[in-house]
Amino acid sequence: MNDPTAGDPGEPDVRGPLRFLCWLATSQLRRSLAGTFFGTAWMLGLTVQPYLLSRAVDDGLRTGRTAVVLGWAAAMLGFGLLSAALAWFRHRTMTLVRLDATFRTVNVVLRHSTRLGAALPRQATAGEVVTIGVSDVIRMSLALTFVGPGVGAVVCYLAVAVLLLALSPLLALTVLLGLPLLGLAMRPLFARQRAAENRYRDRQARLTARFEDLAGGLRVLNGLGGKDVYAGRYRDDSRLLRAEGYRVGAVTSWIQALGTGLPVLLLAAVTWIGARLAVSGQLTPGQLAAAFGYAAVLVSPVYFLLEIGQDVARALVSARRVVDFLSLSPDPDLGTAEPTSGRAELADPESGIRLAPGTLTVLACARPADSAAVAERLARFDAAGAEWGGTPLTDLPLTAVRDRITLAENEAALFAGTLRETVRGRTGADDAALLAAIEAAAARDVHDALPGGLDAPIAADGRNLSGGQRQRLRLARALTADPEVLLAVEPTSAVDAHTEAAMVAGLRTARAGRTTLLTSTSPLLLDRADTVHYLIDGEVAATGTHRELLRTRPDYRALVARDADSPADSRAEEAS
Amino acid sequence: MSTLPIATTRQVRRAAVALVRADGRAFATVLALNVAAALLGLAGPWLLGRIIDRVATGATTGDVDRLGLLLLCCAAVQILAARQARYLAHRFGERSAAKVREQLLDRVLALPAATAERAGTGDLTARGTADSTAVGETLRDAAPELLVSGAQVLFILGAILTVSPLLGACGLLTVLGIALGSRWYLRRSRPAYLADRAATAGLAEVLSATANGARTVDALGLGGQRLAAGREAVATTHRARLRTLYLRLRYFAVINVSYTLSGVLVLPLGAVLVAHHTVTLGAAVATSLYLQRVVDPLDSIVVLLESLQSSTAAYARVEGLAPGPASVPAQAGGPAPAHEPADDRIRVAGVRYAYPDGPDVLHGLDLDLRPGERLAVVGPSGSGKTTLGRLLAGVERPRTGSVTVGGVPLAGLPPERLRRQVVLVTQEHHVFLGTLRDNLRIAAPGADDAALTAALDAVGWQHDLPDGLDTELGPAATRLDGARAQQLALARVILADPHTLVLDEATALLDPATARHTERALAAALTGRTVIAIAHRLHTAHDADRVAVLAHGRLTALGPHRELLAAGGPYADLWHTWRTA
Repeated sequence: MNDPTAGDPGEPDVRGPLRFLCWLATSQLRRSLAGTFFGTAWMLGLTVQPYLLSRAVDDGLRTGRTAVVLGWAAAMLGFGLLSAALAWFRHRTMTLVRLDATFRTVNVVLRHSTRLGAALPRQATAGEVVTIGVSDVIRMSLALTFVGPGVGAVVCYLAVAVLLLALSPLLALTVLLGLPLLGLAMRPLFARQRAAENRYRDRQARLTARFEDLAGGLRVLNGLGGKDVYAGRYRDDSRLLRAEGYRVGAVTSWIQALGTGLPVLLLAAVTWIGARLAVSGQLTPGQLAAAFGYAAVLVSPVYFLLEIGQDVARALVSARRVVDFLSLSPDPDLGTAEPTSGRAELADPESGIRLAPGTLTVLACARPADSAAVAERLARFDAAGAEWGGTPLTDLPLTAVRDRITLAENEAALFAGTLRETVRGRTGADDAALLAAIEAAAARDVHDALPGGLDAPIAADGRNLSGGQRQRLRLARALTADPEVLLAVEPTSAVDAHTEAAMVAGLRTARAGRTTLLTSTSPLLLDRADTVHYLIDGEVAATGTHRELLRTRPDYRALVARDADSPADSRAEEAS
Repeated sequence: MSTLPIATTRQVRRAAVALVRADGRAFATVLALNVAAALLGLAGPWLLGRIIDRVATGATTGDVDRLGLLLLCCAAVQILAARQARYLAHRFGERSAAKVREQLLDRVLALPAATAERAGTGDLTARGTADSTAVGETLRDAAPELLVSGAQVLFILGAILTVSPLLGACGLLTVLGIALGSRWYLRRSRPAYLADRAATAGLAEVLSATANGARTVDALGLGGQRLAAGREAVATTHRARLRTLYLRLRYFAVINVSYTLSGVLVLPLGAVLVAHHTVTLGAAVATSLYLQRVVDPLDSIVVLLESLQSSTAAYARVEGLAPGPASVPAQAGGPAPAHEPADDRIRVAGVRYAYPDGPDVLHGLDLDLRPGERLAVVGPSGSGKTTLGRLLAGVERPRTGSVTVGGVPLAGLPPERLRRQVVLVTQEHHVFLGTLRDNLRIAAPGADDAALTAALDAVGWQHDLPDGLDTELGPAATRLDGARAQQLALARVILADPHTLVLDEATALLDPATARHTERALAAALTGRTVIAIAHRLHTAHDADRVAVLAHGRLTALGPHRELLAAGGPYADLWHTWRTA
């Protein structure tokens, strides 16, 4: 049996929601069966107690024989303790079953997220993934209660019918037909409840979005005002949710009252019929008490079955979401061509960009999005078209591309972990190599300022760092990966000139002999490049060194130069 | 890393009681209806006892029918009463949940800016959404259930005591065992459930970070690292859940044994009493049946206590934001100054500043702003530029020294007075859900469309949104990219029109050409206003009236660009590096 808490969830059955739920149960077959055993034994034990009680009343209390009463009381004590033990094992086993299902689902979803990679944001939102991990897993694991006490309740129900059959076929028939009738009677209510709950959840999601909006914009509201307006809107939405909640309550209260009340009604019917039978002499008073006892025992299994039926219905909706997510496929990866060995030219025919192996190229463009698009194509992200040594990148296996070409973006995520884990990435680099990369990215001061150096915690999204610090750690991480080709989009956009100069110097040294492409309009970077491509409307307009282009292209000069006579200095000119 | 407090058990209890008190009448009605339903529920065993007695003494079918009909009627009326009780309880729960979340919102909005920002949006959002929802669900589901079950237990025990006080004492034995067990359990389970909740949140965070960063995971081959993080979070959550499970198991053992003991004890005792004709046979039978019936509601109380426990943890986080001695102060300290600032002059005198638990990042800074000037603040990353900006904007208060406007401490001003003086714009901009007009009017509630359009023009806004000012913004509607969001933030400031403006890398997300254009337009729109601009693009410094150079938390140079350049210090170095070309 694979253990999801150790990170091995196995391969899920994603052919349908029910199959997925079954897979959750059968992946831990022994535990599920143990749950069925304890659940059933415990439920059946519930029917034994009233039997013992009826014998104690009939044989003991009624006849006034204390010894007999004591005997039955001892039996009840024994059974009671056994039943307590069964309840203990049932709860333990079922909790473990639910935990297993929860962690198994979380693990397959997490694994699939990493498999989807860049294809994930195009097909699903992070919110959907979190919803699965936070609420869907709870619903699905709740439904797994069926394999334990659920099966027990069915068995118990049948057992009571059999016991009643021994007393009176009429009573047995009443019970056997009663439950399905109750279930049918409640069905329309369940449907209405689900609809009301869905509306409620939609409203709730909207209110949650409002709160997130307010919390995220608190700085603006504090600084500029508008609190009253936005708080008012939240309050309006909160009241709408409350009204929707009242509507849910109107249905749910009927289901709850009927859920406990209808079994009692059934019990009343059984008792009445039983009493009539007793009057006509077909039952003894003891048998009548037993019949009441058996029927009373049914109250909780019947209620339980009505409940679990709802749980399973909800779990199927959740499982549908999980199955849908697990069925999303990563980007096609059909390439089988042998990756070029040695130095090959990476080219993007669409823009006309070619990267000479082993050189530093900088891409300058008035529209940053255009140069970012080139880098994405060269890294085979989202769009195809680039070629490597004449072979289209899509003809190569994706892993080969990812192993050898790295795209470093400013929006790239920083995950919670230590500084060491953050910079190390997937490599096994030692501390010396990590410090070298940090040095090269001009991030030594970030390392020194953090308590604990490489062991310092980095919060999710690098929230405990400034924008410039985050940017340098991202670069250090990309340098540690040390790919054959590094494509870095605007790697110095958030740092001051001194730091920028240090970064480009470090980058040149660290990437010596390897192929590197940067996008930027900073002369600090452009001046240190082997080749500069000047891009207009997504196509190469000029190629050369920074100095050549400054001389030959006035439009390039206007874009990148920081001369005192550039248009932005009109104010200074007015002053002088 | 949360710096927001968590309420104590006592504070949570007090808050819960206050919530019930506020809706006292509804609560009493629910209670009364539940009592009625519980009383009707007791009729079953009692009528059965009667039937058994009657059958034993030779009843007719007519007698049985009368009692049987009564039995059915009782069950039907019980359903009606229970339904009404639950409906009202549900309404009570929803109403209370709405109160809790609306109150929480008010508290969040009243948090001092610095406290809220340090806590991070994540913690606040978790409290406002997941935690307050958990509290709401408990109030809606668990609280009424608990009420119903509690009422049932009380009335069954009451009935037992009425039918036979002696036998009823046995019933009390059950309750005693359960009360002792519950006391033991509740003391230990709170920390266990808090840990469980934290671990679960950690697991959700791993999922969310991995899904959000899926592209990065792909680009850098971080799949293995993410799975390892997932394994660790699962293991932590697993341990926390096992801990709560084993606490529960011990608790359940005590409870189940209590049930059994009282159910068994009543029999020999009943036999003796029947033999001595102290109680009737019917009473003895009814008592033992009642004792069986008390198990179900007691059981659900036990289960509900568990969900109550975990939502108490959530409630503690919600209540942690309540103003009070153990919690955050409503304002950043001290009463708001009574005086209005004498003029618009902002003065920094001998300021030292340290973030909580950190070393000083500013070491005795002095700076006098001239009203109407443009001051650029430059310096290497980590030199304290952003901190200075936050102090000048009144977001932070200095550890020693003072930052005043017209002689009044800036950080002491309440937000609505502060924003007439100075406004801070950073790189982190926020686009609110709502229309473009809503987003702009935050700063100027009464502004007409002409004023809004003028403000947008001033920051070089392209008027290309589908519905103009009526365009709905947000993730589900029109999304603005970083540059557009930054322009929106600047347009808001123009509308707010404070006399002093702090721009912390406020144009960094714009491409260089647009940034230059926007800054120029902004300068024109803000003539006569004092502008403090923190920027790594030195154009800003070149255009400014004065440049303040920071290094290691100290002001190393202050003066016009040309003078500093001529002086040839670190600023001249920086300028030459920046201009290389």
